[in-house]
Amino acid sequence: MKDFQLGEFEEIVLLTVAILTNDAYGVSIKKEIEDRLNRNVSVGALQSALRRMEDKGYLQSSFGEATAMRGGKRKRYFNITNLGKQALAYTHDTRNQLWEAIPDFVLKVV
Amino acid sequence: MNTPPNIANQLLKFFCKPELLEDIQGDLEEEFAIRAEKGKVINARWWYYHQVFQLIRPRLIKKIEIVSNLTKETIMYKNYLKIAIRNLMKYKSGALINIIGLSTGVCAFLLIALFVKDELSYDKNHEYAENVYRLTIKNYDQNGDVSRQWAFASAGHAKRLKADYPEITHAVRFYCWAFPDLKIGEKLFPSEQVVFADNDVFDVFTFPFLLGNSEQAFREIKSLVLTESTAIKLFGNDWRDQDILGKTVKLSIGGREAPFQVSGVIEDMPEQQHFHFDYLAPIQFVEQLFGESTVNNVTGNYNWLTYLRLQPGTDPSVIEDAKDEFFDKYVGEFGNGLAAKDFYAFELQPLLDIHLQSNLEGEFESNGSLRQIYIFGTIGILLLIVACINYMNLATSHFSRRMKEIGVRKVLGARRSSLIKQFLTESIIINLVAFPIACILAVLALPYLNDFMGKTLTFNFLKNTELFTGLILLLLFVAILSGSYPAILMARTKLLQALKGESAINSSKWNFRNWLVTFQYAVTIGLIFTLGVIQSQMQYIRTSDPGFRKDQILQLSLSRRIDNLDVFKNEILKHPDIKMATYASRIPTGRLLDNMGASFFKNDSAIQTNFRLPYILIDEDFISTFEIPLIAGKNFTSAIDMEKDSVGYYLVNRSAAEALGYNNPQEIIGQRLSYGPYNGSNNMRVGRIMGVIEDFHFESLHSKISPMVMLKGEWDMESLCMQIDPSNIPEILNHIEETWVNFDPVNSPDYRFLDEMFAEQYEAEQRLGTMISVFTFIAILIGSLGLIGMVGFIIDTRYKEIGIRKVLGATLGDIVTIIGTRFLILIGIAFSVAIPVAYLLISDWLNGFVYHIHVNAWLILLPAIGAMALTILAISYQTIKASLINPVECLQDE
Repeated sequence: MKDFQLGEFEEIVLLTVAILTNDAYGVSIKKEIEDRLNRNVSVGALQSALRRMEDKGYLQSSFGEATAMRGGKRKRYFNITNLGKQALAYTHDTRNQLWEAIPDFVLKVV
Repeated sequence: MNTPPNIANQLLKFFCKPELLEDIQGDLEEEFAIRAEKGKVINARWWYYHQVFQLIRPRLIKKIEIVSNLTKETIMYKNYLKIAIRNLMKYKSGALINIIGLSTGVCAFLLIALFVKDELSYDKNHEYAENVYRLTIKNYDQNGDVSRQWAFASAGHAKRLKADYPEITHAVRFYCWAFPDLKIGEKLFPSEQVVFADNDVFDVFTFPFLLGNSEQAFREIKSLVLTESTAIKLFGNDWRDQDILGKTVKLSIGGREAPFQVSGVIEDMPEQQHFHFDYLAPIQFVEQLFGESTVNNVTGNYNWLTYLRLQPGTDPSVIEDAKDEFFDKYVGEFGNGLAAKDFYAFELQPLLDIHLQSNLEGEFESNGSLRQIYIFGTIGILLLIVACINYMNLATSHFSRRMKEIGVRKVLGARRSSLIKQFLTESIIINLVAFPIACILAVLALPYLNDFMGKTLTFNFLKNTELFTGLILLLLFVAILSGSYPAILMARTKLLQALKGESAINSSKWNFRNWLVTFQYAVTIGLIFTLGVIQSQMQYIRTSDPGFRKDQILQLSLSRRIDNLDVFKNEILKHPDIKMATYASRIPTGRLLDNMGASFFKNDSAIQTNFRLPYILIDEDFISTFEIPLIAGKNFTSAIDMEKDSVGYYLVNRSAAEALGYNNPQEIIGQRLSYGPYNGSNNMRVGRIMGVIEDFHFESLHSKISPMVMLKGEWDMESLCMQIDPSNIPEILNHIEETWVNFDPVNSPDYRFLDEMFAEQYEAEQRLGTMISVFTFIAILIGSLGLIGMVGFIIDTRYKEIGIRKVLGATLGDIVTIIGTRFLILIGIAFSVAIPVAYLLISDWLNGFVYHIHVNAWLILLPAIGAMALTILAISYQTIKASLINPVECLQDE
């Protein structure tokens, strides 16, 4: 079994790309994360994570359309790959396993 | 304005990977537009900057160019290194030749550089060296020509000049007085060189004190400053523990004694200084001894080594120009009405120039010579260049082997610069091998050089970091100089030619390589020529008749304890193998430095001679001991004694007779001459010339035989010369020593053979000759290595031509001629350049001898013949090998 390593921020980015399906590009991903998680994301951190996961093969990208708002520059759309999906599933599974292994009373908020 | 800040964009463009730039910048601008719409533009701008800075992350920025290039380069260098080492291993003999050539050349250069550097470093240890000058005195004869120039001045010069001219801040005289014996308690140290100096000595020269200090050193008149080694000599190795300051050392001379107190110890004077003294004492002591008239004398009696320290920036000619004023003030006119100022002049020699440029009468120690430095320096540089050329030749002659490699490299995208780098790497590797070998050779050769040149040069990297850096720079220089031509040549090759394995340089065309070989030839020819001239001059000196017997003559220096000369001589002569003996004030192979005024009588009127007529004191056995023919008149008899007799008698040499106007020596016999106040008194006693002897080379062949007069008298005899039968020399020496002890129990006898002293006159030339022959040998060695490479190369490139010629019926001789002719042309060119240049240099050297050989056709042709013989030798093997091949072999190779 391949070792899918995903950092916390990577996982969030990957999930967000999945949420946005065909509309995942820099600005939208950033906005989605900021809206949903209520945290600030710098372009640098985001881009760096995106490229890292592209190198790992979890994401693939292609150029999309250009808009005037972007100063005529094309968007880059990100799509999750099969490997990326497996990685997410793996992370999800391991988390679930861990959750399930916790005895009920431990997490009971008193 | 709703546009994102331009500077931020420029920055982004600068560092961001180009493939990421478009979409990232697009994202940024999109969000910026949104933010600018919603809120304040200024905030959006801030945000924009902030985001751009945050984008500086390893994954997003461009790889730094240099870093990526460096890694690429290292990979290539590894490859160059590998190929270079493979090539060296593959062509071992070629590599070996190269390394031998380079290492001998570099070794010679290193040794010469060490020598030259040492020679140039003289007297630099003194703090005020730049403002210190030595006062030297020029004497003029009545025609206004310089007759002698003395390294020493008179006693009165220093003090008077210092008092009169404020430009002179300090003046010091050194006076080396009579070698007194030193006594400490009962211990006796005979004949030590005690030098008396003015108090200014420590302000003019820097002598670091080990004990005591410069202020205290000369406070008392009877103080004595020792050097470290004399302190060890007098007080033993543990002198530091003995508190020797203030200890008494007695100076003893002729039965009189004076107690001196040790007042300081200075470091030994460094090797690189033009004088060396063992003891220093205040000069007031001898001044008191000699009295006013001697101490204030400003004419003659040149025994006081005088140095002046001028104010910084003073032109020494100010003092030189003051000589008229000076002599008018202190001398005025001589008794005969002539102005003293016309006979004397000052010359101030800069301290730093003395070692290399001064060679005056009475130099304290024999100096170096600037000419020698130039000759050696030139040769060193030439040898280094020749070694580099050798490398170039050999490297390019392996060219054809490398062609295909270069072709393939070019196809794979090697740029010209990378090819150049590759071949430079190779030359650096060869040099990295050659340099340690050169250093080892230099270390091995250094003791011989030291011995030979009387130096103490060292080759120590730890002590001399300069040497180490110099060596590394030299390595780079040699590597680049020698590697550049092959590198450029190979890099220039056209791709197609290279792939076909054709040579880029057509061997039958005149190209740079030929110039290189010509240069090598020129150096070799020039050196052989120089060597030939020097050797034949030395041969001429060895075989020419000096006019006196120089073999089997033993010279014994007299000591002042021997007072009864007649008895001493009779005792010496008791040994049967000592055939004859004579006393003399100066002996042949020495210099004629004693001179007095002379007047010659013609028809009862005395005319002062207008040429220099030096004298020596001899006894009646002089001319028979030295076997100098008497050509007219009679010899001295033992009865004649110029001190007591009322009439003087003289012997003159033929030159003197001729100078006095008598070409027939018979006619001068009986003529009247008055010579000098020869006995310290001022009575010019008129005497008669009683004999004329044949001219002989009293001084070396460097100077012309001068007129001289011989007097008979005993007051200044320096040595006893004996003609001996050499069959049993130890016994003779034994006899002399036994006799000596009876007369002088303190000093030990000091004897030498005259032929040694004769050879010593030409020591410098002999050395130069030997050095040049070593260098010539190295040049020839390197040159022939280069030739072998060159011929191999030519044959390589003309392989097929030779094949075709053979098919068409050429004989072996024809082929040798074809290849050899080219070299004849090269030799011709080299010859016509080298000989005139070398001739100019060497004729300057030859003119240093009044009696010298003339360069004849043989001497000129010899180097050319030598070079040709060398070439024929070098090419014959390769050529014969090439011409013996079956033509089929070379023609079928395609």
